[in-house]
This record gives sequence, C-alpha cells and structure tokens, in this order.
Amino acid sequence: MTAAPTARDRRDEARDLSTGQVFARACAAEWTRLWTVRATWWFLAAAAAVMVGIGATAGFEAAGSPDPPQGDPAWRISTITAMPAQFALLALTLLAVTSDYATGGIVPALQWTPRRTILFLARALVLTGTTAVAGALLGLASALAAHTTARPLLRLPWDDGVEVLGTVAFVVAAGALLAVGLGFLLRHTAGALVAVFLLMLLLPLLLPQFGYAWMDALADVLPGTGAAFLLLGEVPGMTTSSAVTVLLGWAGGVSLAGWLRLTRDDANR
Amino acid sequence: MGRRVIQVRGLTKRYGDVLAVDDLSFDVEPGKVTGFLGPNGAGKSTTMRMMLGLDRPTSGTVLVNGRPFTALAEPLREVGALLDPGSVHAGRTGRSHLRVAARTNGVPERRIDEVVEQVGLGSAAGRRIRGYSLGMRQRLGIAAALLGDPRVLLFDEPMNGLDLDGIRWIRGLLRQLADQDRTVLVSSHLLSEMQQTADRLVVIGRGRLIADATTAEILGGLGRLQVRVRSSRSEELLARLRERGLTAERVDTHELRVEESTAEEVGEVANEGHLPLHHLSEAQQSLEHAYLALTGDDVEYHGRPAEPTPTRTEVAR
Repeated sequence: MTAAPTARDRRDEARDLSTGQVFARACAAEWTRLWTVRATWWFLAAAAAVMVGIGATAGFEAAGSPDPPQGDPAWRISTITAMPAQFALLALTLLAVTSDYATGGIVPALQWTPRRTILFLARALVLTGTTAVAGALLGLASALAAHTTARPLLRLPWDDGVEVLGTVAFVVAAGALLAVGLGFLLRHTAGALVAVFLLMLLLPLLLPQFGYAWMDALADVLPGTGAAFLLLGEVPGMTTSSAVTVLLGWAGGVSLAGWLRLTRDDANR
Repeated sequence: MGRRVIQVRGLTKRYGDVLAVDDLSFDVEPGKVTGFLGPNGAGKSTTMRMMLGLDRPTSGTVLVNGRPFTALAEPLREVGALLDPGSVHAGRTGRSHLRVAARTNGVPERRIDEVVEQVGLGSAAGRRIRGYSLGMRQRLGIAAALLGDPRVLLFDEPMNGLDLDGIRWIRGLLRQLADQDRTVLVSSHLLSEMQQTADRLVVIGRGRLIADATTAEILGGLGRLQVRVRSSRSEELLARLRERGLTAERVDTHELRVEESTAEEVGEVANEGHLPLHHLSEAQQSLEHAYLALTGDDVEYHGRPAEPTPTRTEVAR
C-alpha cells in the first residue's frame, strides 16, 4: 500500500511545473474565459451574418444580372465581406481584454496567473488564433454561399481558396493582435474601440481625401491601409510586402506597449 | 516564535503624494486567525493587493512561504484570496468563473462541486453572477479562494454584505481553517467582529503599524476595567469614591461609573460608608474603545461612518 501524497508533497511537485505547462493551463483558461461570455457569441454571429449574408446576396445578384459573370472565382466575395466583418472580430477580441478591466475581472485573473507575461501571451494567442480561424472559416462559408446562390456562374478553385482564406486569416490575426495590445494599453472599452476604428478604418479612409501628399503618406503607414490592400487590393503605391510590414509593425508595436503596461503597472489602478 | 508563513518587510506604497502604506512590517503565522484591522482608507486592501502581486510596492517586500507570490506556478494551491467580491465578470455563471480558475491551476473539475457545496452556493452556481447578491458574491469569492485547497488564506472584509447566518458561517469557516493549521489573514474594520474571530491582531492606521499582538494582549493592555455601581445613596458614594482618588461620574439618577477600578474596591468603599448597593458590575473596555484609543490620531476620514466598501460591479461592460 502506498501512502497518499501529503499536501506538502503536492506543493513541492507544483513548484517543478514547467513554464510550458503553466502557459498551456493559462491558454485553456483563456479559452474557457472566451466562450463563457455572451459577447463572444454575439460578435461571432454578427461576423457570420455579414459574411454569409453578403456572400449569398452577391450570388443572387450575379445570378439575376442581365450580363452575368461567367466563371469568375467566388473567392473574391470572401475578402470583400471580410473587410466589414473583421470589425466584429476585432471588437470581440478587444472586449475580451477590456471587459476584464471594466468588471475588475483582471484581479482574479492575475491572482490565478500572477506571471503576467504568461497571461498576456496566452490571451494574445487564444484571441488571435480563434479570430483568425473564425475569419478563415467564415471566408469559406461566404464563398460557398455565393457559389451556391449563383450556381453555376461562379467557380470555386481550391488552390485560390487557400491563398484567399490565408490572407483573411492573416489580416484578422494581425488586427486582433493590435486589438489585444490596445486593450491592455488603454484598459478601457470605449477608448480602445475608438482607437481601433480610427486606425483600421476612419483614418485610412479620410486622410487621402484632403489631397495633401503627407497625409497620403501617413495613411499608407496605418494598419487599416495594409488590411484594405490585402483584402481589396485597391491602394495605389502599396505592395503585398509593404502591407504585411505595416500590419505586422502595428500589431507588434502596440502589443509590445500593451505588454509593457500590463507587466509594469499596478493591476487595475 | 512560530513559523512565519507571510513576511511583510518595510512595505511601502506611494500614490503621488499619498503614502497609502508606510514602512509596514509584520508576520502572519499558521494555526491562528490573524485579524488585519484598521479604519477605511488605512491601507489594508492595498497591503493585501501587494501581498498578491497585484500592486507593485514602492519599496519593501512580501514573501509567502519564502517566495514572492508572483513567482508561484500554482498560486491557487498555495494562497487562496478573496479581495473585492465585485471584481468578476458578471456575465459568467458562478460555475464558469470557478471553471476558469480551476483551469489556470490544474485543479480537477470535481473540486468545483465540492467548494460550491462548501460555501452553500448550491444551484445558484449555474446562474449568471449578474443576479447575485453581495453575500452570494462573497461566497463565490470564498469558493474560488478554497478551490486549490491552499495552506494560506487572505480575506479582505469577508463579512461585508453577509446576513447574520452568513457571518456566523464565515466565523466558523475561519476557525476551522485555522484549526487545520492553515494561515488565515482577515481584514476588517468591524472591530467587534475581530474581537470574536481573531486570535491575533495587526492594527494599522494611515498605512502605519499601530499594534501587532494577540487579541487578549491588545484588549488587556488597553482594556481598562470600568465598574458600574447603583446605590440609593449614590451622592455619598460618589463623594467617597472621589476621596479615594478614583475617577467616577454619574451616568443615571442612582448609577455611577468608576474608571480603572475593580468591583472589590468599589464594594469596600461602599461598605466603609455603610452604603446600600443595588448593583455592582465590572465591564471590560471593548476592543472598539481600545482600537479608537490606538488609532485615535490615525483615522484617515474623521466623521465618516465605517461602511462596507462599495463594489465595482455595476460599471458598464
């Protein structure tokens, strides 16, 4: 008969836990955290409604057109619908971070995972991963909807699909990382939402309207411009690599700032 | 000297010009309930937040089992803590809240049912926290603190919002945890409550340590005896007591209060003058008075009644 482990044995054992194990547990907890609030489901439903709804409508439109497109790939609809739908996914991400500050939930979160870098990385990974996968799946659903409603006008070539869905996933993931960083940096839902919309949508749209070269240049280095180029491809003077660089630069820089605030400041004052 | 499970050394926290905690040092030992006592704004919560690594000390250290809390891989298995019970996402169910906690520290799911049962949350665990009363939130917070079966427990004002049944339950729980040789630190501004619950008291005011001793020592050291005496000839008795050099005053038509004396002494004085006594009793000064004597100059907010700290639950999310 073996002796039952005492509390002390168990604690000594606990001390030997590797950082990887602590991180894996933090990720599991973040996953549960994400899916046990209604906001996640609502935003996901909104993104799905936009992407599948617009996809299906576009298919009907194409089918009913007097000069219907012949043999165009349906994938085009995935990136077009991803442009508005990404904001639902970004809001989902942002709220998952800032609601902890609005409700005070960051206090128990840090009591349970006091190693803040681990909490940050786990949250960032779960949120960017989840939204990227959701973006790709909804992109697929959107193209399938258009393909189905326009049958047999639109094609669905699978090798194109991988590239398109990869692009959608990348844009959503980069935006989500930016949103995570903004959430941890600003700790405030309204403030961070405004910042996301300014950087991802309003400034890239507005700045080029004034006709100054420096404003155009400024707009070109905003993350929203990079996202728009990758999804819609209608930005003069931009290349895929410059768009990717701009998006990654913003996502990396802002999340670094958010990590610094989380690890340096008091929990929620 | 007992084992020092929690060691606070020179702990200081400054917010701008305000010193919330000022060079605080004390130890907390296992096997007893240590009361952490002070008026609102004394720095109790800030101290506990620093113990848990939530706030960064301006200077000084806190060690739990010889290590800083932030170094723990499985904090729930070593230190259970309840701070503000309103600091939870109210959109989750109580059980989901506990499930997240369990995941972070590898606590098995069945343990959730055990603590839900233990704190008496019952079927409410399946409901959203939004609909919980403050007392239910306290119970949920205590359930989370107990989840990892930790040897150290920190409770910040756990009696707030509880009804009489709940308060009696908490008292029993604290005693039971201490009897299991766990280390229990409970903050409160409810002096009468600590008098009943705590074996040891750490008293602070304006962030400074005022007293650190057993409850009996603190009561004994400051708990001067008072004598209440009733006599139909109280006027004569009052004169004789004053002749003796005692501080006595009239509190009612026939009733006197004598400071720092004993029933024997007052009885003898009455006997010497052949004065009839209708009542003679000793009363120990309550901790309340002792506490006010200790913290007299240190009450941060004079004139503000001691009230439970409001929770931050109802903010927009």
